[in-house]
This record gives sequence, structure tokens and C-alpha cells, in this order.
Amino acid sequence: MQDAVLAMLAKEPSHGYDLHARLRRSLGPLGESMNRGQIYVTLARLERAGLVVCERADGLPERPERKVYALTPAGQRRVAAWLSEVGWPKPDLAEFHLKLAAAAAARLADPVELVAAQRRELLRRLREAQQTALAESAGSGAGLLLEGVALRLQADLRWLDACERAWSAVDDEVGGG
Amino acid sequence: MSSVAVRACGLVKTHGQGQSRVRAVDEVDLVVPRGQTLAVMGPSGCGKSTLLHLLGGLERPTDGEVWLAGRRIDTLGERALARMRRRSVGFVFQAFHLVEELSAAENVELPALLAGHSLRQARRRASLLLERFGLADRARHLPSQLSGGQRQRVAVARALANDPTVVLADEPTGNLDTAATLDMLRIFEGLRSAGQTLVIVTHDERVAATADRLVSMRDGMFVDDTRLAGSHPRGLGGLIGLED
Amino acid sequence: MGSNVLVARLVMADIRRHRVQAVVLLLAVAAATATMALGLSLRGASGALYEQTRAATAGPDVVALSGDAGPAVTSALASLADAPEVVAHHGPYRIVYADLTTRDAASSVVVHGFAETPGTVNRPLVTSGRWVRPGGTVLERGFAAALGVGVGDRVTIAGRSYPVVGTAVTAATSVYPGAAQIGPYGGPVDYSGLAWMTRSDARALASSQDLPVTTALDLKLRDPAATDAFRDAHPDLAIRITFHSWQFRAEQDTVILRNSRPILVVGSWLLCFLAITGVAALAAGRAVEQTRRAGLLKAVGATPGLIAAALFAEYLALALAGDALGLVIARLAVPAVAAPTASRISDAAGLTGAAVATATALAVAVAVLSTLRPTLRAMRTATVTALTATAHRPRHRPWLTPLSALLPTPLLLGLRLTARRPGRAVLQACSTATTVIAIVALLTAHVQRERGYGLDGSSVLPNLRGEHDRRLILAVTILLIALAVVNTITFTWTTAMEARTNTAVARALGATPGQVSAGLSTAQLLPSLPGAIAGVPLGVGLLSFFAARNAAAPPPSLLLGAALATLLATAALTALPAYLASRRSVARTLSAETA
Repeated sequence: MQDAVLAMLAKEPSHGYDLHARLRRSLGPLGESMNRGQIYVTLARLERAGLVVCERADGLPERPERKVYALTPAGQRRVAAWLSEVGWPKPDLAEFHLKLAAAAAARLADPVELVAAQRRELLRRLREAQQTALAESAGSGAGLLLEGVALRLQADLRWLDACERAWSAVDDEVGGG
Repeated sequence: MSSVAVRACGLVKTHGQGQSRVRAVDEVDLVVPRGQTLAVMGPSGCGKSTLLHLLGGLERPTDGEVWLAGRRIDTLGERALARMRRRSVGFVFQAFHLVEELSAAENVELPALLAGHSLRQARRRASLLLERFGLADRARHLPSQLSGGQRQRVAVARALANDPTVVLADEPTGNLDTAATLDMLRIFEGLRSAGQTLVIVTHDERVAATADRLVSMRDGMFVDDTRLAGSHPRGLGGLIGLED
Repeated sequence: MGSNVLVARLVMADIRRHRVQAVVLLLAVAAATATMALGLSLRGASGALYEQTRAATAGPDVVALSGDAGPAVTSALASLADAPEVVAHHGPYRIVYADLTTRDAASSVVVHGFAETPGTVNRPLVTSGRWVRPGGTVLERGFAAALGVGVGDRVTIAGRSYPVVGTAVTAATSVYPGAAQIGPYGGPVDYSGLAWMTRSDARALASSQDLPVTTALDLKLRDPAATDAFRDAHPDLAIRITFHSWQFRAEQDTVILRNSRPILVVGSWLLCFLAITGVAALAAGRAVEQTRRAGLLKAVGATPGLIAAALFAEYLALALAGDALGLVIARLAVPAVAAPTASRISDAAGLTGAAVATATALAVAVAVLSTLRPTLRAMRTATVTALTATAHRPRHRPWLTPLSALLPTPLLLGLRLTARRPGRAVLQACSTATTVIAIVALLTAHVQRERGYGLDGSSVLPNLRGEHDRRLILAVTILLIALAVVNTITFTWTTAMEARTNTAVARALGATPGQVSAGLSTAQLLPSLPGAIAGVPLGVGLLSFFAARNAAAPPPSLLLGAALATLLATAALTALPAYLASRRSVARTLSAETA
């Protein structure tokens, strides 16, 4: 979040209000849950870290807001570093994997049941993402983001299928033996 | 008019004889209300296609009942079944199964002509449907001149030609590339929001996710029945982790 | 070497997989080649039979005949026996013209008065019983067979009863019913049989009733070929003498076969045509599979030549096997077909070399013509395209298709199926036309009125030539109809199999099985209709080439009835495969296509 806000200031100094609007435009329907307060909290943190500076400007009569944020040289270096970074969010599959293993070992719950519940949840999310994506006009940036979300969920669902097959086989062995 | 489009009770279908006897569909109960879209998922050979054939009257169950639009169909004769299919069922197949020597428009006209509508009525209906699926300029093309996605859209248009009670789709995206699959997702979403009763057999999670409800099949039986519609568990922002 | 093994292996595997097709091809070719070989061998076979009989009976080179009897005639004929060219002779002997009656039949008969011990020339070969003795008569075998009498029966000749003591054959007279070589006093001859008696019995017979008598002398020449020269050297005798050479006899034998040859040869062409259409349809039905196989072979490095060889070898092998079978059948049938009367020894008539060669060429032609297209296509198609070959994917729309939208469903399906395969429609039409031609020929043969061989043209003794013609036409027609039946079933089944996805789709969309099977039947009937209509004038036209000037034509109503019956039969024949095809599980067909 911090990096994205910083990068958006690289073009030109902006009001917090503008930043919020631009972020929401890029995220489309996914940005709806993001409130303006989050932006100001982030900007305040960045200012404390010396990455942005805040200048007072003449506000419009109907808007008391007068703070305009700009990047410091340190902020610019941080943006450059962020753009060249190839890090990628790690899907946290280990946690769920360990949940299944623990549940099976302690006989707390049936792993197959856990997988099924998880699957239902992911399918609901997929449906939601997909319906939102299909409602977007083709070629919009938000549509592309939603497509990515849907593909991620699809990949996760396939992994759940693999989990289910594996744990069902374990069940069968136990049941059969 | 019954509020239930499709109902199956204690449905059983076995293939083969003796030792190699397989229960493709094993004691399945199913109610699909009008306007619901239902996805059936499961691994290959789990009996999902057979179930679809049974629901559409292409195969007869070994045991159990199938009701379509309030009428029991498993006891009908071949001829009555055919008539029922004309009016109440639209099929979409993985391999499209368009009649290769007929143009797109003629393929869409086919069910209406079979149902005894006049050529003019059939034409009007076909051109409306092709228009709806963005194929107006492809109406006179033969299937061999169309892309896979276009062919499947023609097939969907054909399935809708007689305004059926239910559309049954068997792996409709199985032979399509990613872009054409997205197209089909859009079409199924459109059918769903238009209130068309729809049963889709698929192994594509994204196709399944267009449905209101999902049943999973294993070895001829339903192992899960999930309602996908109407739940906003976390809000859209949760999908991309903006709420941290 | 290895490629030969490969070709042989592919051929064997394919034949094993398509046994019914292999049998159909084999039998069709066998029928065509047998008929062709028979037709071409008749003349030669007839000659061979005569030759054999002549050798076995010491047949005369020349028979000198006088239309009169008496001492002057006898001495004039006897003087011929002294001619320098003559090495041996028999006679002069008496020929008595009489009527012969059995319990059921009556016929003209000529009675030859012979010695009880045959001489060196014209020694009739006794085929049953024994040779003449006083009071007993020997009947010529062909005559006895036509009368239905044998040794021990009694016959009445000119009012006197005689026991039949034997039957015999001779090369000195024409085959039954041509025993009367000249009429009394040079007059016209009737259809007559031949009987032998002792000289004294013949004389007694002639004098008792004052029957007409002529005289004959059998001569053996130094040079058997010089019969014309001998006749020319003896132009002016005191009385009028007719010379019949052995070459003339042999030629006369073939008169009875005059119609047999065209019946068999034309019949064999028609059979060939049906065989080609049927086999071509079978081959076309497997075109996709063969194209795919060709692609597979190319992919593993086979040359186009090898692929052509593999595809073609199978049909050639089957055609040649059919040819061999056909030739064996023809060889067995030739004595009976070449000798409709029993007047000749008939155990050694074979096929002529030319007939065997022509029949074999025919079999090869059937294999070539019926596989040309699939073979070429399989060779030409690019490897990858061939591997992914699926059913025929049209690139343009058959012109009949739009029209069919206006018709009821079965006609709609039928017309579209027909439009899909115009080539096959033409084959079906031709097949039907061929059947109708054969039926027209059969009907025409049956309305002919010919003189019977009985007394005064009575049909108590039937006209053997007409009977023989009718029997041959019947046989050829049965073969043609059998092939046409196989063709119709093949066409319908092939069409049904090729259209199985489309018909399954139509059924999924709500067409009833009845509509689908009616559609499949219609697809065969539509082209059959013009075929049946064209077959009538074609048949009449074809027959006019061979018919005698005074031939009777069957009534038009009969011909139209035949065409109609053919159509009805076609409809009935298409019904079963169409019915079976329409009962196939829709779900299974559609699922199979997906895979």
C-alpha cells in the first residue's frame, strides 16, 4: 500500500483526495471498500519516514483540505527501488497444508471435510470476482485485475482438488486397513 | 406451471453387464427450480455426462424417475421423448455438434423447424439469437468457417431456439481456448441473469462459478451440494487483501 | 523386402477387421468374373464339345445327303465313296421321317437305319443301354432327355411300339432338335429328334406306312480340313446332293447359344458395374480411416508408393481371390451352359485363355476403379491433416440444402443427406437403373413366344434355346439383384454411419427415431427414383440391340410395375439398416465424437 501511494506521487504532487480517487479508479469495484482515512494514515506514516513532504496550499472554498503531498529524494529512490523489485506476493499455502496435517494427526477434524469447506469458500469468492469482472467493460484496468484474481482462485481450487484426492486416498487406506 | 424445472428421484444408470457392470449414476436425487443455474463438477468418468443425458432424455435411467417441467419423462416412448426434447430441452455439447453442411443460421433454425414452426418464424428467431450472441455477420457462414468460440455460440443460440425449459450444457468450454472460454462465461452469466434454467456439466472451476449452485459428483453420487449465490462473505476488497 | 512384409501385414490386419466388406467384394467380383468368363468361353466350349464328340464317335468329315431314296440315289452316293480323297465311309444309309410319341409328348423324328455292328466312320457312342438290335431303337441322348425317356421305356414311331434299348450321341448330326439335316425331297425341316434302328427295321418302318425317306453317306477324308475342296470337286452328279461338313456342324451347334453370349457378357458388364459401385461406396465409407492410416504411415517414414501399395493391395488381393473363385465357378458351369442339350459329350469343356485373361483384367479393373479415389486422396493429403482427419467437413453448401427447409422433417433430413453425398446418389441411381434393366430383360425374355420342339410346334417339348436364354437371364438377374441388394444396404449403412453425428444431433434436438430412419430411407430412395425411371427405356434400348426383329415387347404397365416394385423393394431394404442406425444411442454417439 505504501509503495503504491508513493509511486502515484511520482507524477506530480497531489492532494490526498486526488490520490484516493486515482487509486479507486485503478482498482475499479475492488477499490470500493477502501476509505479515505486509510490514505491519510498511510501518508502520515510516509511523512514521518521522510519519504514525502507536506505543503500547505490554497484550498478551494468548498474544501478545507489544503495539504499537497510531494516526494522527497529519499521517496524517489524508494519508488525506483520498488519498480525494479521482482518480489511477488507468496500465496500462503503452507498454513492450510499444516492445518490439514494437524487436523488429521490429532483427529480434530476430517481433512477432506476441511478441504470441501475451503473449496466452497473459494468458489464463492471466484463467483463473486467473476461476476464483477464480467460486469466490467472489456479492456478496463480493473477487469484485468479481476481476471488475475479469478485465475489465482482457479489455481487454488485445483490445488484443493489435489489435496482432496490425496487425503481421500489416506482415508481409504485407513478405512481399508 | 411448475416452479421446478428438473427433478430426479433415485436416479440409477448402469452400463455394461455382469462383472464389468458400472453404476454410472447411483441413486441421485436432484431438484432444479426454475431460473436456477446448476453446475455439476467431478473427475472424468464420475457420471456427470450420463446424468445430463438422463435429464435431457437422451438416455433412459435403469431405475428412478426424471421429471421435466412437471412431466415425468423416463416412462415416455422414443417418439414422445423426441417431442419433449424439441420444446423443453436445449443441448450444448463439448464438440459443438453443429450440422456441418448447414450455415450458422440454418443450424439455429433447425430446432424450430423440427418443432413445426414456419420457416419465417424460425428465421426470425434465429436472427434474433445470432444477433444476441454477436454473430449477425456470421449467419451465412458454415461451421467450418467459424472459430471454436463462434461455433459454440451458434450451438448456444441453437439450444435456445425453442425457448426451452432447461438448457443442458456438457463441458461447453472443453474444446475452447482461454479467450473463447471467457466469452462463454459471459454468455452463461447472461443466461443466468436472464433467468434461464441451466445445468452445466464441467470440470472448469470458472464455468462452475457462474452457477448459483454447485454439486460435486464422485462415482455416480453427489458428494457436495453448495449454494454459491447470494453470499458476500468478505466483500470484494477482501479478494485482493486491501483490508489489512 | 521388409516393405512387402509390412504391406502384407497391413492388408491382412485390415481384411480381418473388415470381414463383411471383404466377403462382399470377393463375392461381387466372383459373380462378375464368372459370368464374363462363361460368356466369353461359350463359343470355344461349344467347339470343344463338338470336337470331343467327333473324336469319340469317329464323326464323318462330310455327310452327303440326298433328299430322295432308291437305287439310283444309292449308287450315286456310293460312287462318292470311291473318290480318291475318301479314306473311309459309312453308308449309304436310309433316313426315315416319322412321328414319335411317348405317353406325354409327340415329336418329329428322323430314324437312321444302321448296322448292328458299327463301321469305321460315324460310330455313335452309346451312353446308356446298348446299341440297336432288331425290334429295338436307340434314341439320341439330347432327344431322349427332352422326351424324358430312358432305356426300358417304350416309344411309338409311326404307330409302332419300340422298346428303347439305349441312348447314344453322334457328331454326324446337329444337336437336338436339329437332327433332320435336310427335308424329304429337299423340302423344309421340322424340329426333329434322332433315333437309330437296324437297317431292316428302318426299311420295314418306311415301307409299312409309306413314310418319306432320304439317303445319307458319311465320308472320312484324307485331309479332314479339305471339306470345301471335296464339295467343289463333286459338283455335278446325277442327282442333287447336299454336303454337310463337320465345320458346318460345329457352327450349327452354336446357333442354340446365339443369345447366351450377349446375355452373359452384357450381364457381366452390369455385374461389374454394380460391383464397382458397391465396393467404391464401401471404400469411400472407410476413406477417413484410410487417410488417417496413410498419415500414420507417412509420419513413420513410409513413401507415398508404399502407402498406395498398402491401400491398393488389399482390394487387389480380394479382387483376384474373387476372380479365382469366379473362374472356378465358370469352369464348373461351362459344360452345362455351353451344351443346353445332352447331344454332346460334355465333360471336358474348359475356359479359353482369352476368357480367363479378360476376367482377370476385369477383376483388376474393379479393384483399381473402386479404390482410385481413396488411394489418391490418402496419398495426397498432408501427414498432419491426415492424422487429424475426421469426418468429411464440407467447405461449401450443397445447393439442395436451402430448398429442403420447406419440406417435412423426414424429407428434409433425406434431401440433406442426399445433397451431402451427390456422388453416392449417382451411384445409387445407377445401381437401381441396372437392376431395372435386368428386370426388363427378364420380363422381355418371358413374353417371347417361340415354337416348341413338339409335333407341329407344340410346346409339350419346350423350345430349349428359349428355355436356356430365360434360365441364363434369370441367373444373371438374380446375381444382379443380389448385388443391388447388397449395394443398397451398404449405401444406406454407410450413409447412416457417416451421418451418425448429424442424425444424433437431430435427435437431441427432438427428431424422432421414425423421422430419422425415414430420412435415411428417403436419402436412398430419392436417387433411386430417377434410376428406376431411366432403367426402363435403357433396358428396352439395350435389348433392342440383341432382340430378333419379331421379338415381342412386354406391356408398358408391366415395365412400370417392375420399376415401382424395384422402388418399393429399395424402400424396404433401406428400412432395416436405417431403423438400426436410428436406434443407436444418441448419448453414446455424441460422447464418442467428443473423444
